[in-house]
Amino acid sequence: MTMISKDPSPVVKVALEVDSLKKSFGGVAAVDGASFSVEKGTITGLIGPNGAGKSTMVNLISGALSPDSGHIRLDGQEIGGLEPHEIGARGLIRTFQISREYPDMTVMENLIVSASNQGEKLFNVCFRPSVGKKRDRELVERALHTLVTFGLYPLRNEYARNLSGGQKRLLELSRAVMADPKVLLLDEPMAGVNPALIEKLGEHIVELNKDLGTTFVLVEHNLEIVEKICSKVIVVALGTTLAVGTMAELRKNKAVVEAYLGGDVRERVGS
Amino acid sequence: MDIILGYVTTILVFFFTYNIFTLGLNIQFGYTGILNFTVITFMAIGGYVAGVLAMPKAAAGSGIYYILGLNLPWPIAALGGVLAAGLLGYLIGQIALKRLRSDYLAIVTLATGTLLYGLIGNGTSIFDGWQGLFNVPQPFAGFRTWTPLGYSIFFTIMTGVLFVLLWLFANRIYKSPLGRVMRAVRDDQDVVEAFGKNTFKVRMTAMVIGSMYVGIGGVLTIAYITALSPAGWTTGETFVVWAALLVGGRGNNFGAIVGSFLVAVVFNEATRYLPQIPAHPNLIPDIRYVLIGLAVILSVYFRPQGMFPEKKNTFLEVPLGDSSKAIEEHLAGGLSKVGEQ
Ligand SMILES: Nc1ncnc2c1ncn2[C@@H]1O[C@H](COP(=O)(O)OP(=O)(O)OP(=O)(O)O)[C@@H](O)[C@H]1O
Ligand SMILES: [Mg+2]
Repeated sequence: MTMISKDPSPVVKVALEVDSLKKSFGGVAAVDGASFSVEKGTITGLIGPNGAGKSTMVNLISGALSPDSGHIRLDGQEIGGLEPHEIGARGLIRTFQISREYPDMTVMENLIVSASNQGEKLFNVCFRPSVGKKRDRELVERALHTLVTFGLYPLRNEYARNLSGGQKRLLELSRAVMADPKVLLLDEPMAGVNPALIEKLGEHIVELNKDLGTTFVLVEHNLEIVEKICSKVIVVALGTTLAVGTMAELRKNKAVVEAYLGGDVRERVGS
Repeated sequence: MDIILGYVTTILVFFFTYNIFTLGLNIQFGYTGILNFTVITFMAIGGYVAGVLAMPKAAAGSGIYYILGLNLPWPIAALGGVLAAGLLGYLIGQIALKRLRSDYLAIVTLATGTLLYGLIGNGTSIFDGWQGLFNVPQPFAGFRTWTPLGYSIFFTIMTGVLFVLLWLFANRIYKSPLGRVMRAVRDDQDVVEAFGKNTFKVRMTAMVIGSMYVGIGGVLTIAYITALSPAGWTTGETFVVWAALLVGGRGNNFGAIVGSFLVAVVFNEATRYLPQIPAHPNLIPDIRYVLIGLAVILSVYFRPQGMFPEKKNTFLEVPLGDSSKAIEEHLAGGLSKVGEQ
């Protein structure tokens, strides 16, 4: 376990740091020496062309894959190669590129089961069921509030499998909130969602960031929303970090324009 | 009258034991999504180990060979059998639950079952090979002087009480936070893992508890019929338990009971009265399997969730603080509109 030498700068605190990360699948170097850092309390975008290695990075950071080499640090602590649940328990929660609700559980259950520390120990089940019941009361209340915020309250007792694509996206985000994440890593949360809901998801993210101080890493192809809510954007291509900056800065960066933005930005922004 | 009563008690014991098997599989598969394709092996291990713990040392020249023979009192022997089944579940879990996806797990369990079957059948000195254990002492037989019927009734009540307790415990798990996490693992293991929960531990817990349930059923089986041989736990028997669960309704313990009754009792008893054809001694057991297979096919086709599907779980929404007021205000504020147009 490597500790980084205090804060790199006295003002800026780094929530997540990726350092020379590499991962190959056979001959394909999906992530090839990427390095970047995400400041605490920010909403940081992670963009890049299809196949750039964004999802692979998300999988490496969240422990679903273990890196070939390089470092990943969460709050200065090395997390590269840990089990996904160890990383999740440290407060880094990720979502998946394709919605993955618990289909045979209700919306309410989807939320409640995602909270940490539910009293799910076997000992409690056998000898102290009141522990779980008491915690459930708190969680129900929290889940109800969260569902109201996300507009899913009327669907709370519906099976998650019956939700529409957009509703599932809302469910994923509200479920992640229940876990009290320090860092929330969202892999294309707006893919396949109508423009109005993209807008709304963006508002939710901004609100959560403001109210709870959650740090967001947002992998997204919709550059309009990235520009709107991300204070900093990381561009990756061919598995490495190409550039970092605000969207406006990146638009002026020749390498970025060539690799990703192309001639007509509008075309890629579209729904 | 006595004959009828004797018959009824036997069926009831059979029914309760099958229920216990099915509950065990429900905890593994219905709650947690673990594909255990060797359910019956846990029954055998539970039964055998309890048997050799309760039996006296194998006498030389008696023609029966087995390990241990500790002559222990039944409650302790039974506990040993149940723990052995749990231990087997733990060992298989260590191999199969760590990294393997569910389909591989199914293969590992099936392979382990076949392996143990061959090992126990051919390893004459473990549990007396293909011949199996017999003359297993009955629990509480020396407690008082029983009439055969009296003992059967006593045994039936004991089994019934055990079944009820196990049923209540299975329900308690289901409704608990642990049961909820188990069902989430069933629905999508990776997501539960990403939310910081050790899914290996959760699945192992379900695996071991389920194995112990089946082990209890095994202990009751050997105690009641006082014998157990490999012929009594062929691979086909595993699928009888599966059929009971699938037809009844996975994830629903009441469905598990109905399924056990239908598959294990009705089919078994109904086929028993078919006329024996001497030239085809296996015909009737085979017909039984055909009927069970048919029931599974029909059920999967017409009622894939089983006769009694898993029930929807709702929560008591009595507000703790001012939550209901806050929610109403929110709703009045027009925030109630569901996510998407
Ligand atoms: N499990 C795998 N086995 C082999 N190759 C893989 C695997 N996962 C990803 N790749 C390859 O690695 C590269 C990066 O893929 P990745 O999914 O990380 O891209 P991405 O940036 O998320 O793309 P998109 O924007 O389309 O989601 C691609 O060339 C992909 O084909
Ligand atoms: Mg991707």
